[in-house]
Amino acid sequence: MKSGIGRRHFLRQTGAALAAGPLIARAQTPPSERVRVAHIGTGNMGGAHIQAFAALPEVETVALCDVDSVRLAESAKRLVQRKPTAKPETYTDYRRILERKDIDVVTCATPDHWHALVAIHAFEAGKDVYGEKPLSYSLREGQRMEQTLRRTGAVFQLGTQIHAEDNYHRVAEIIRSGALGRIGTVRLWKNGGTRGLGFPPNQKPPDTLDWNLWLGPAPYADYTPVRCHGSFRSFFDYSGGVFADFWCHIADVLFMSLQPEGLSTVDARGEVPGDGIADTPKWIDADFAFKGLNVHWTTRPPPVPGAEKMSIGAHFEGEKGTLTCDYKSRKIRIGKEVLDDLPDVPVTLPRSPGHHRNFLDAVKSRGLPESNLPYARKMTLPMHLALTSFRLKRKIVWDSVKEEAIGDPAANYLLGRTNRAPFV
Amino acid sequence: MSALRFVCFCSCLAVSAACGAADGGFTSLLNGKDLSGWTMLPGKQPAFAVVDGLLETRVPGGSDLFTVARYGNYVLRFEYLLSKVGNSGVLIRCDPKNPWGTGVEVQLLAPWTPYRDDLHCTGSLYGHVAVTNRPDETTGVWHRMEIRCDRNVIEVSVDGRRTTVADTRAVKALDAKLLSGVIGFQSNHSKQGEFAQFRKIEIRDLDADQDYVLAGFSQTDERFRVQAREAAVALGPAMIVPLARVMEGDAAMARSVARQALFDIVAAASAPQAEAAARDAAARALREALGAKPSESTAGYVSWLSGMLRK
Repeated sequence: MKSGIGRRHFLRQTGAALAAGPLIARAQTPPSERVRVAHIGTGNMGGAHIQAFAALPEVETVALCDVDSVRLAESAKRLVQRKPTAKPETYTDYRRILERKDIDVVTCATPDHWHALVAIHAFEAGKDVYGEKPLSYSLREGQRMEQTLRRTGAVFQLGTQIHAEDNYHRVAEIIRSGALGRIGTVRLWKNGGTRGLGFPPNQKPPDTLDWNLWLGPAPYADYTPVRCHGSFRSFFDYSGGVFADFWCHIADVLFMSLQPEGLSTVDARGEVPGDGIADTPKWIDADFAFKGLNVHWTTRPPPVPGAEKMSIGAHFEGEKGTLTCDYKSRKIRIGKEVLDDLPDVPVTLPRSPGHHRNFLDAVKSRGLPESNLPYARKMTLPMHLALTSFRLKRKIVWDSVKEEAIGDPAANYLLGRTNRAPFV
Repeated sequence: MSALRFVCFCSCLAVSAACGAADGGFTSLLNGKDLSGWTMLPGKQPAFAVVDGLLETRVPGGSDLFTVARYGNYVLRFEYLLSKVGNSGVLIRCDPKNPWGTGVEVQLLAPWTPYRDDLHCTGSLYGHVAVTNRPDETTGVWHRMEIRCDRNVIEVSVDGRRTTVADTRAVKALDAKLLSGVIGFQSNHSKQGEFAQFRKIEIRDLDADQDYVLAGFSQTDERFRVQAREAAVALGPAMIVPLARVMEGDAAMARSVARQALFDIVAAASAPQAEAAARDAAARALREALGAKPSESTAGYVSWLSGMLRK
């Protein structure tokens, strides 16, 4: 039980003593038997994390945090129902959790605008993080997350569970094998977009909700329920709509398969809803020019065979054939043949033991988990650019080395945000 | 509700007539010399020409004539003269590629045989809305027509008498039409030798009027709110201070439209190819809006927007 404290204490001492920094100190630390986990944000995905981690044998769930005391109490109750031995302490302010030296891992399922700050503060407090998608609210925050991760040597996994499943691994093997020839175009889509949510009046937040802390680094706004639980993604103050919700789920298979590089332009168009206070895309289509690869995102299925029946998907166009897939299925078309698999392509990619398991293994080995931060950041970056292009209604010319929009200060301005004090 | 609206229109008209400034906010669409600002469809015989300062169409079946500019809400007025069995019309809120499918024709027609009913005579929204006061259809003399497109209400007057009033939302076929588009004149739709002439073609663009645009933010029909937002954005930095004022109001709907319009105006002014004067005007207007000491959320938003204009 004290091993966690001991390990963290040791790490801090050694980290302070060694000029080489905590990265080396950690790598040399033998893993403890138990992993002490705290969950920050206990809503939909947070609730799922609580259950998934509680199912792992070495996990001890020691703390829960939510700015909504009703959700917090409910999640504690559900945890104890599942694991009667659990005695989680509950917090409103995640900073109290990060102060605890006995906690190894935090999960983060806050609204998007908190993702980066929670992770950065956790890294600095010596915690490893399993964080929900999207990686960060802004592109610049993602850079800061990666810098802090490298400085502190923390382990981070993005909670894209589909990544761990067999289908994406198999698609990546087929694409990488060259069986479809060089891939020049990839089409990604997700049906549907943000709804307007009407024009509700502002009101006093419920006593059970710390609205100021919920807002955190986002601009101050008066409370109305649709801004908060369940539909916060409809607002650019906190997220980027359905597009930001689903981008990484399906862009993941593109990045696993092709590792696109050299993004040079992003051009998006679309509309905001007219029937409410929500301001994120009702629809958004975007074109991305990578080196040797064009990627197109649409809010409707593209005009390719089979796509109209798939609410989300990726379509790879190669010189010799195409592959169309979603989370669970894939169809390969070569000439007139339609196949589910190419048996000649060998299985080369190691399969995941499960996304949470893979993360815990990395926590112990100090290795890179499968959806690690540098990978997740590369995958998320085009999403930020598409949303910025959508908002500015113009093409963004991108310097992928400096990670800056060329000749467009307003675009660079929108890729970051000054956090509201004191949430920095 | 419609009745109320019409009372409003009448009083508006009365006021504008009484104000009677020289141009009353109207600008001419015809220079009297050539067809600058107008276009005919390629591949068809040009059917319009300016002759002795008059616009006329004589070629049957030639190309119709369209404004280059698009208009949503406006008052269009002009004078017309039809030959003995002349047939023409005015196309409103249309796409020139498919004018009758996307827009509506206000009919101009000699009372020829066979007799055409109120749904197809001069002043009718051809085939959709009949005239309720049949106008004087005498040919060979000049008549005045005024067409008012005011969001969902289209109103036609001939020689100073209102002939037709339509609520586009009450007529299924009209409800599906465009809310803005070009204005067109139909080429001679009668036989060879017949003609139609036009003069004093003038327009008052309601979407250029700040107050008219801001009133659109509270329209219950989403399409007209979006139209008003686009009109506000088209008015550019001059709208920034009025929009910031709307954000201080109690109406959640209007606040939300104003918020988006402010963003779009500043985004356009921040474009690399935007003129320095427009950028400076936007930056100045944002400072002025902040100077009015708005609430915390408006002030925060306005100062955040001004960051987009920093070099």
